[in-house]
Amino acid sequence: MKKYIYALCFSFVIGQSTLAQPTPPKGMVYVPAGAFIMGSHYGDPDERPQQMAETNAFFIDKYEVSNAEFAQFDPEFKFLAGRENNAAIVTWHQATAYAKWAKKRLPTEKEWEKAARGTDGRVFPWGNYYDESFVVWDQKTSRGGSIAKPESPYGCFDMAGSVWEWTADWYRPYPGNDTPMEQYGETYKVMRGGSNFNDQALTRTTHRYYLHPEKISRYNVGFRCVKDVD
Amino acid sequence: MLLRALLLLFMFFYLTSRTDSWGQKVNQFPKKTDPLHVKVELFDQLMRGNHWNEGAIMQHVIFPPAGLERPIVGSQADCLDPTSEMLAAYSHKYALTKDPKDRDIANQIFEAVLKLEEVTGVPGLVARSFNQTDEPLWHEEVLWYHEWHKSTSLPGYRWLGDLSSDKFTSICYGVGTFWELCADDAYKQKAAGLLDRFMGRVVDNNFKLTDLDGKMTMWGNFCPDLPHQPLNSLKMLMGLKVAHRITGKERYNAAYHMLIDRYHYDDEQLKAKMLFPAEWRNVGDDYHAARSLYMLMRYEKDRNLLNKYRMSLNRHWEDWKTINFDWESNIWFIMVYQTLTGEEIMTEERKKAIKDMWGFERQTREFKIPMKGGGTKTVKSEEEGTAAAMIRNYWFGRYYGLIDPKW
Repeated sequence: MKKYIYALCFSFVIGQSTLAQPTPPKGMVYVPAGAFIMGSHYGDPDERPQQMAETNAFFIDKYEVSNAEFAQFDPEFKFLAGRENNAAIVTWHQATAYAKWAKKRLPTEKEWEKAARGTDGRVFPWGNYYDESFVVWDQKTSRGGSIAKPESPYGCFDMAGSVWEWTADWYRPYPGNDTPMEQYGETYKVMRGGSNFNDQALTRTTHRYYLHPEKISRYNVGFRCVKDVD
Repeated sequence: MLLRALLLLFMFFYLTSRTDSWGQKVNQFPKKTDPLHVKVELFDQLMRGNHWNEGAIMQHVIFPPAGLERPIVGSQADCLDPTSEMLAAYSHKYALTKDPKDRDIANQIFEAVLKLEEVTGVPGLVARSFNQTDEPLWHEEVLWYHEWHKSTSLPGYRWLGDLSSDKFTSICYGVGTFWELCADDAYKQKAAGLLDRFMGRVVDNNFKLTDLDGKMTMWGNFCPDLPHQPLNSLKMLMGLKVAHRITGKERYNAAYHMLIDRYHYDDEQLKAKMLFPAEWRNVGDDYHAARSLYMLMRYEKDRNLLNKYRMSLNRHWEDWKTINFDWESNIWFIMVYQTLTGEEIMTEERKKAIKDMWGFERQTREFKIPMKGGGTKTVKSEEEGTAAAMIRNYWFGRYYGLIDPKW
């Protein structure tokens, strides 16, 4: 009898959590609230310390914002013919303006990292090993165009490689990190995910890089948006 | 009438030979039909005349009005490649000629590599390039990642950071060749000191190239704890082998064997050449592999390791044996293969590719120059690429008896 009661309770909990999971808007996936492993103990000094971090539930774009999508917001935005479905390369302010227009926002670093690596502390969105066929080579390839097409634990594509992705956050040290860096502060925004044009270690889910929000120079940097769960 | 004709003739020669109006110091180009040694000599004059940035060699020079009278405007991210090529070229040349003038040129180029370290103000941190200028130059913003810094150790200079594994290879190959073939005792010590500081810093940082900010550079990963390209395993083994040979310090030998025994870099390097899918074959990567294998296979004496390096060379040869000679370094791969294996593979087609070697054409194009107040200004200017690889190929081939001096 006890067994049946447990089974009933378990089914209820599972049913409740399934029912509770909201339906994501078109082109987005759901990331539940809760804790995850953030940072690493072997990457650059700014990735330390590895820590338990928490987010609220949120939706995040499955793909980086494309040229065609960005051009709907800004008709003046120019890109090469045939590259409608490639990631748009824009400044932080352009990305922020698009997100506002789309009634979304840029992800925080925490949100971005959780969406990329899930809760098990993995190195890449698909696991702990690297494979060339898992990444979009660079901005010349359309989104989700890698050979193996792996998803992150929550169903996002191209969070390793393709273009770098803007986050909402200024480049600051993690709590407990006392390595001095003159770049910390409110000059640079954090970009994540690497571009496979650079070394593959930069496509790790924990890697951070800083860039001036307006001067993107030759960096291939794009973005994806998040939306709060009401 | 005669006077007028003479005056016109004088004006013609003056205008065609003057070197200051567009900033060019040297304007004489060879003809495609010239013998190889003539082409090499004339391109050498062009490189040393127009690309010489205090001994460092510019990969790309933009002339006035978009550039300056001095060759410091142009793409500079890869300047260590032609610099190391010219250093190797003059080292091979000196080994043949024993002419003090050739050694002096090699010494000056080496001094520029030292300056690439000095300008950063951090022992062992080597810049990609430097410029003597107080103010940022326009190309800093647009021709590469903006990784330029104002030098605190050399006032009046700016330098480009974010060194890559490719330039790591250039340093080890160029300085190693200079030490081996050209440097006198004083310069051998300087070369050993530079490599010790450079490699020592890499080893201390767990086999990463780290920048001024303490972060790993964008292409600076040889780290056993991070996923990295198999080619980078090969480059690191080469760097450590060269450093051990030149400095005599046991720490580099220990690091070399640690990467082999514990992390299997000797096995990883077998995959340095990606053969399939064929569209992923990368001739640029092959160049770094060729330079690495050239240094490594001549210095390594362990038969088992040599076998593995030979297997890596064989995988490259699978592609190189049918390669098109559309890039100057391609024919160098063939020369390296013959030098390392002793196999006679110089077919008539390959000899012809050597004889047909060429540097660059001077071209004119429009540059969009960023303005201080925003926006850009379009300026039409002449530009030159590099002939350093061709010059290196020639003296390498001469040194190893692969090129006939009469060609």
